[in-house]
Amino acid sequence: MATDQEQMMPDWQRDFPYRQDQARLVTRREFSRMLCLISAAMVTGSAYVVAKAYWPRTGVPAGRYRVCGKDELPAGGTRSFQLPGSSVPYILLHLEDGTFKAYEQKCTHLSCAVFYKTGTGKIECPCHNGWFDAATGEVIQGPPPRPLPALQVVEEGNDVFVMGPGTKAG
Amino acid sequence: MSTFRNAQEQAHPNKNSTLTLAIIVVQLLLVSIQIWLLYSGLNNALEHNKGIAIPALVASFILFLVCCSLLYFLPGRGAGKKYNRRS
Repeated sequence: MATDQEQMMPDWQRDFPYRQDQARLVTRREFSRMLCLISAAMVTGSAYVVAKAYWPRTGVPAGRYRVCGKDELPAGGTRSFQLPGSSVPYILLHLEDGTFKAYEQKCTHLSCAVFYKTGTGKIECPCHNGWFDAATGEVIQGPPPRPLPALQVVEEGNDVFVMGPGTKAG
Repeated sequence: MSTFRNAQEQAHPNKNSTLTLAIIVVQLLLVSIQIWLLYSGLNNALEHNKGIAIPALVASFILFLVCCSLLYFLPGRGAGKKYNRRS
């Protein structure tokens, strides 16, 4: 319990006491031990990443899903959609060169919604001025560390389909 | 018995402090590398490059062991006191 004399001490003197035995804050020894705990936390985090990477993914939509008809989406237009059984938002783009692309509508930086900037061929994340190439999903500029996850688009007749992310290649 | 240790303590009374500080700096460096390993492993795993995750985990674990083994070299709680005492 703090004595009356300690109560009377100004804050600065309590933070930087003259005498070692008055130092009641974290000592360097304790700080060193705490660094070891943080180090252990980093190992745990890395182990979690390994577990998540190698654990079989379940509940990921697979197969082919119709998004819309070609004539429903003019060149430069976009359409948001979700796959059945998944809450991940996706965006279908009809680029000005006539091709269709589908990407996850979450920025790889902090998961803000991204939007296609018509006529520029770029996808914008307005939160932190991140930009992606609409043709490839690659990062052009800004803080996003990874490209936008893409879905394979299949055009058949007048319909546009996407392949679910759980679809096995080949 | 050798008087080397006594002489050392008397000649460099701040040595324990310097040693503690050096150990903390090295530990901070190790934890920084671990943060970088975690960041790299996570980003690559999200990009479906699983190959990075396991080497990052192994390296992180080795750095953790090094971090813990550095505690062995922390000067004892009473180290230096008995030699610094002026009577």
